[in-house]
Amino acid sequence: MNASNPSSSAAGAGSADSTAPRRNSKRPKYSRFTQQELPACKPILTPKWVIGTFLLVSVIFIPIGVVSLFASRDVVEIVDRYETDCIPEPSRNDKVGFIQSNQSKTCQRTLRVPKNMKQPIYVYYQLDNFYQNHRRYVKSRSDQQLRNNGSLQETDACKPEDTTPDRAPIVPCGLIAWSLFNDTYDFTRNDQPLNVNKRGISWKSDREHKFGKDVFPRNFQNGTLKGGATLNPNIPLSEQENLIVWMRTAALPTFRKLYGKIEVDLQRDELINVTLQNNYNTYSFSGKKKLVLSTTSWLGGKNDFVGIAYLTVGGLCFFLALVFLLIYLIKPRQLGDPSYLSWNRNPSGH
Amino acid sequence: MKRYVYINDDNLAQDIYCDNRISNRKYTIWNFLPKNLWEQFSRFMNQYFLLIACLQLWSLITPVNPASTWGPLIFIFAVSASKEAWDDYNRYLSDKKANEKEVWIVRQGIRKLIQAQDICIGNIVWLRENDEVPCDLVLLGTADPQGFCYVETAALDGETDLKTRSIPSACMGIDVDLLHKIKGVIECPSPDKDIRRFDANMRLFPPFLDNDVFPLTIKNTLLQSCYLRNTEWACGVAVYTGNQTKLGMCRGIPEPKLTAVDAMIDKLTGAIFVFQIVVVIVLGIAGNVWKDTEGRKLWYVRYPKEGPWYELLVIPLRFELLCSIMIPISIKVSLDLVKSLYAKFIDWDDQMVDPETGIRSNATNTAISEDLGQVEYILTDKTGTLTENKMIFKRCCISGRFYGNESGDALTDAQLLNAVSTGSADVIQFLKVMAICNTVIPVRSKSGTISYKALSQDEEALVCAAARLRMVFENKNGNILDINFNASPLRYEVLDTLEFTSDRKRMSVVVRDCQSGEIFLLSKGADETILPLTFSGQQVRTFAEAVEQYAQMGLRTLCLAWRKLEEGEYQEWASMFKEANSTLVDREWRVAEVCQRLEHDLEILGVAAIEDRLQEGVPETIETLRKAGINFWMLTGDKMNTAIQIALSCNFVSPEPKGQLLIIDGKTEDEVCRSLERVLLTTRITESEPKDVAFVVDGWALEIALKHYRKAFTELAILSRTAICCRVTPSQKAQLVELLKLCDYRTLAIGDGGNDVRMIQQADIGVGISGREGLQAARAADYSIGKFRFLKRLILVHGRYSYNRTAFLSQYSFYKSLLICFIQIFSSFISGVSGTSLFNSVSLMAYNVFYTSVPVLVSVLDKDLSERTVMQHPQILFYCQAGRLLNPSTFAGWFGRSLFHAIVVFVITIHSYAFEKSEMEEVAMVALSGCIWLQAFVVALETNSFTILQHLAIWGNLLGFYVINWIVSAIPASGMYTIMFRLCKQPSYWITMILIVATGMGPVLALKYLRYTYRSSKINILQQAERLGGPILSLGIIEPQSRSSLDKDLAPLSITQPKNRTSVYEPLLSESPSATRRSIGPAQRFDYFQSQSPLTSTHTRKDN
Repeated sequence: MNASNPSSSAAGAGSADSTAPRRNSKRPKYSRFTQQELPACKPILTPKWVIGTFLLVSVIFIPIGVVSLFASRDVVEIVDRYETDCIPEPSRNDKVGFIQSNQSKTCQRTLRVPKNMKQPIYVYYQLDNFYQNHRRYVKSRSDQQLRNNGSLQETDACKPEDTTPDRAPIVPCGLIAWSLFNDTYDFTRNDQPLNVNKRGISWKSDREHKFGKDVFPRNFQNGTLKGGATLNPNIPLSEQENLIVWMRTAALPTFRKLYGKIEVDLQRDELINVTLQNNYNTYSFSGKKKLVLSTTSWLGGKNDFVGIAYLTVGGLCFFLALVFLLIYLIKPRQLGDPSYLSWNRNPSGH
Repeated sequence: MKRYVYINDDNLAQDIYCDNRISNRKYTIWNFLPKNLWEQFSRFMNQYFLLIACLQLWSLITPVNPASTWGPLIFIFAVSASKEAWDDYNRYLSDKKANEKEVWIVRQGIRKLIQAQDICIGNIVWLRENDEVPCDLVLLGTADPQGFCYVETAALDGETDLKTRSIPSACMGIDVDLLHKIKGVIECPSPDKDIRRFDANMRLFPPFLDNDVFPLTIKNTLLQSCYLRNTEWACGVAVYTGNQTKLGMCRGIPEPKLTAVDAMIDKLTGAIFVFQIVVVIVLGIAGNVWKDTEGRKLWYVRYPKEGPWYELLVIPLRFELLCSIMIPISIKVSLDLVKSLYAKFIDWDDQMVDPETGIRSNATNTAISEDLGQVEYILTDKTGTLTENKMIFKRCCISGRFYGNESGDALTDAQLLNAVSTGSADVIQFLKVMAICNTVIPVRSKSGTISYKALSQDEEALVCAAARLRMVFENKNGNILDINFNASPLRYEVLDTLEFTSDRKRMSVVVRDCQSGEIFLLSKGADETILPLTFSGQQVRTFAEAVEQYAQMGLRTLCLAWRKLEEGEYQEWASMFKEANSTLVDREWRVAEVCQRLEHDLEILGVAAIEDRLQEGVPETIETLRKAGINFWMLTGDKMNTAIQIALSCNFVSPEPKGQLLIIDGKTEDEVCRSLERVLLTTRITESEPKDVAFVVDGWALEIALKHYRKAFTELAILSRTAICCRVTPSQKAQLVELLKLCDYRTLAIGDGGNDVRMIQQADIGVGISGREGLQAARAADYSIGKFRFLKRLILVHGRYSYNRTAFLSQYSFYKSLLICFIQIFSSFISGVSGTSLFNSVSLMAYNVFYTSVPVLVSVLDKDLSERTVMQHPQILFYCQAGRLLNPSTFAGWFGRSLFHAIVVFVITIHSYAFEKSEMEEVAMVALSGCIWLQAFVVALETNSFTILQHLAIWGNLLGFYVINWIVSAIPASGMYTIMFRLCKQPSYWITMILIVATGMGPVLALKYLRYTYRSSKINILQQAERLGGPILSLGIIEPQSRSSLDKDLAPLSITQPKNRTSVYEPLLSESPSATRRSIGPAQRFDYFQSQSPLTSTHTRKDN
């Protein structure tokens, strides 16, 4: 855009008002404001500036897109969808019945490492079609109760999972905590157990300020209706990191939550055996469960969207710049030509 | 209904009538709160916000904290209420000042000084010279032995000449002391607003007179707000008091004014409201369906099997609350704020300060500045508004010699001065006629200077000029006139006065020279009545030419003539005159006939030219504003001739070849009807021609036309761009305004006197000129300015900028609210249509209050075109008039933009913050940041001129957003603890922001550029021309020149102009006739594009 002449202090009303004192640019700032005569820069959209802007944007965006795309491609990701496979063949007609039964839910999965993976390798579980952002669900928690020991009774927001039938408060109360994800994964590589570090997976700020060191689970999952995982009542909430992670509700119905970190490098074509306990019921709402092992880049996990979007926008801008340039060359139009003013062009005025 | 007023009756407590307390207040202390709240809640928007705020108290459905609505709501109400309270307090103060003015009245036979508000009906009020009349009085006595007194009624009807009032014949000859004890009864009608009628009668009780009934007319009254002049004292009995006086009844109750922009915003709000209801219903149904099909499968949500009865309502109501931000609560606060700033800009404007008096322009009504930019009709008063209200003798032609042509002022013409001092007989005789032939009363002040009181401003001008030329009219003692010429005293006795009537168009006096005993007839009058009366043999050609020449300069001309009478001739005639004067039937006609017998064989002495001075810059102002497509109507209480003459001299109507003047007159219904139809027909025919057609109507015909032929008159009003209405009463002025308003035009009424108050209050915008006729109009008006020419700046600069700025601000307010609302709606699709708010309460509240309101507020400094360009191309006002910048289609553009931006922000956010990053608070903050970034760039793109303040506000606000969020993120208790720090450390956050801005702004910029370059509006073209310094400024645009220089340039030119006086529609009817306005030379070269009829412009407006 054309950052053109800082045109200040026009003489105003023409000479008809010449009796009014002529103002000059030496007026004090305050007076310039009251007379609406602050020096102003009045850019207009000249072809030069617009085409230049679009070219500039494309020149900047395409490299960024390429870099982002490379970053995303560098991330090695193993995704294993297991919710169907982990149900024994006979029970597949009644998955909900199976998951609610007392049968053994243990399931063996084998993952093949496609490329070398540098540590830390993040282990996520991914749920699809799980509405953590549902209004009834997302509001069903009590931050006060989680934070300090004195607020045990603050369970108003937690309905219907607020107290036991005999009015004793549930800690942590609410549907979110109640539905805590309870599949577990054990990894072995070459029959050697692969250690998964489950500490430090939650936000430090949550551990320190949101979840109390002196708040211990109470009456949790004691009701007739069992939701998800149980918690060890002897460990304070600030150390129940899987809970802390779970309580950071996701904004989308598809989300990944950190399960732990593998702190050794994995080599290409290595086979990793996972022993998983398939406890969590996603079958009643046909949700998917996936186990994800992923490295990370400066942009985060594997996500081609940003790179592609940048390339697209950059490309489109380049295209637009070209089109504008062509139009400008083929059909030049003089800016500010007074003959375009209808009252000049058309004296009869009709 | 009648009222009986018992004069001077202290015993009878007459509290059945109101006291003399004037009250313009709207509230009292007690009813302020309920009444004000009621008024505020009668606005739809406020009801809506209250409903939303109440709904939010129900925690089951509220997505956010109720405080986020209640806080702003209470704040808004408090601001509006305190503004109202302040205004009302000021009204109270000004009332109080008027009410506590002290006046003399009679109580128990003794004169007492009391406050004006304590005057009761029946009290006798004493006034001294130059006192303002405190209430409507019936005269009882004056200092004048003949029972006359003079009043100035300017504040009432705008006429500045002195009017004679006389005491009723019943009170004639009552001694001053007895007046204190006078008793009687006046039977008068109930208060009405007709200032020209007072049909009452009076009966004095014995011992003053027996019980005869005497009729009273308006001639016997002193009305409130008139001034007593030239009379030592007068007394009268109060008949109407307080708000029931004629003036008070005329005042009417001012209605709160709503601008066209406000109405449009309300309409758009209504549309958004309907849209919102539709969204709510659709989403509510979808939500309930989803809940029953999918939601119940979600075991972790634990829907109860049986819900309460209102279960079906819960989700729709949640969406209602989520979508309630669609209608921005901040828009009212922002608009109020910027509107008061517009008003301040008007107050501050140094270019609208009257250089003579130092009076600044003032915006009393701070709420209607946008309307100034949308004015389509200006209804203007004449006297004191267009003219200075000062008549000045400018030139003369004595026995074939022109004086004053070189210097422009005869009084400084050396030749004339020379002639006076050498004692040229013709010149001296001319001066004598100037000094004697009049009804002027000289008043000698204590310091010895003489001032003149005249019924006619023309006469005053002549006498003053004669005095300057050493022919000083010193004293009038009964019939004896004392003249002092070159220090030698002359004395004349006035034998008879042959009065001026509008039929005769001349007046004469018969005087006897007291030294020589000779008798003279001295006459003055319009040329067409004087010139034919010359004695055979006198050459009148030079005088006719002089008249023609002067008239072309827009001067009023008077021919002065005389004749010596023989004693016998006079005596014979005098007896006839006396007889004619005492006839009862057809007296006026008889007198005129007798006068004619004396007025013949005159010797023309010369022609005097008087300037009824227009205010500086009036013709230019009218021309510019007409180019801007504004139609002018002149409504005046003055005579038709004078009105037409002024209209000609100030570009109001064009002279004959270009313009056409159609007159509607007639005394009876039939005549008026016929005349109206004829005029309508002519107007229809000439509509297609590029011709300025104006119609002229007088008060009487107007009354009939409005009563019986309203439809035809309305059609005429729509067709005709110009009208002159003469002899109209204040309420007729208001009716005309009403008529135009009913045709859906934006009207602006401008006036300076009390007679304009009703029209000023009735019009969409009332402008008062704080002039000679007091401040009454200025007080009642929405805007008061010092001079008519400031109207140009008021409309073209302030009105236009205000409209543009409000148009942007209001649409932008909707844009930003819709933007965040659409995101909420989209996010509800990924949250199971359950009505979850993506954003938290703090963000939602701060979004409207802090993040988005500041940048847009500085749009009050935005100027799309410089003031200079606008003044040069007033046609550009058309965009404001037609509402091109704020209408449903522009609004649709903003709506589409907000939808597009919402999609951009939402899609990019959920894709780049997917999977492991999809934490609720983070996603919400990314989306919010996206909105803030986009809106900053939108404001930047839509801003035409960046001052330092705009840069500060736009980019500073962006920074402020981060600062506020960093602060909130530092509070452990808040939901978004550490979120903002976390985000700012992620490269992906910044990359996402840049992506959002580029994707959101790219198409907007491209579209705007294409429009700007290839479909440019006139505004764009002028912008381009202005910034690139194109050839536009050199394009023969006539810079308005100052009037005097124009006169000088054109005066010699126009003498050669051919006569155009033969046409059917004679435009020139003035008593000093043929004032063809100087024809405008080059200025007429191009026409205006608004010469399309108002009808078509209505169409265009509707189409847009």
